[in-house]
Amino acid sequence: MKKQAVTIENETGLHARPASMIVDEASTYDADVQIVYDGQEVNAKSIMGVMSLGISQDAEIIVQADGDDEEEAVNTIIELIQSGFGEE
Amino acid sequence: MFNIFSSDDQELELMAPLTGEVLALSEVPDEVFAAKTVGDGVAIKPTDNKLVAPVDGVVKQLFPTKHAVGIETEDGVEILVHIGINTVELDGEGFEKFVDKGDQIEVGDKLITFDLDYIEENATSIITPIVITNINEVDSFEVTEANKVTAGEDKLLTVSI
Repeated sequence: MKKQAVTIENETGLHARPASMIVDEASTYDADVQIVYDGQEVNAKSIMGVMSLGISQDAEIIVQADGDDEEEAVNTIIELIQSGFGEE
Repeated sequence: MFNIFSSDDQELELMAPLTGEVLALSEVPDEVFAAKTVGDGVAIKPTDNKLVAPVDGVVKQLFPTKHAVGIETEDGVEILVHIGINTVELDGEGFEKFVDKGDQIEVGDKLITFDLDYIEENATSIITPIVITNINEVDSFEVTEANKVTAGEDKLLTVSI
């Protein structure tokens, strides 16, 4: 299991577009990937799961993965979040 | 819970959540919806200001910005109704919500009202995608043949589970 914490930088939080970008990325890995926020853990390959957390700007979340490609899965998703999803 | 071992053919009827013109998802002016990244379904260009529940279920997500609502049915089908395009940037302005996350809802319940003119003026589009976000969990779906639908009264999608 690989885990890493990250802070949400983009102003609008994890709404439809960023959530779908995370799900798209997470779905390319064999590892089980989860987002943990505020005591809740959701499947990072489920759009509704990710959006149901209602994560807004400045929230600290944990990205975790378990599987052969867990290292790469977590690193790539953390990078995606830190990039602000290409939003201004 | 969704039962992946069920062999029964089940159908779920989605009623129109909005009154307006039925459009293909490909006509939504936003790549994440047009390319079905968020999910598969249909779009409505609303002519009225009221969003009602298309199915019985639970509100899974309703952002503080009130521009989108996620619903999960008893069968585990997840539906996202996203009012307009780039409406997250309106920061809740022009929207009023009547339910909260976790609420049980029934077909026809009023969920959100919105200011059509304000959204048309200040967001990219008022065209509203209605998508099944866990599309892998359903067998297939059919879109109504009607060009125009009335909220809570007309069928929009028939989903085979």
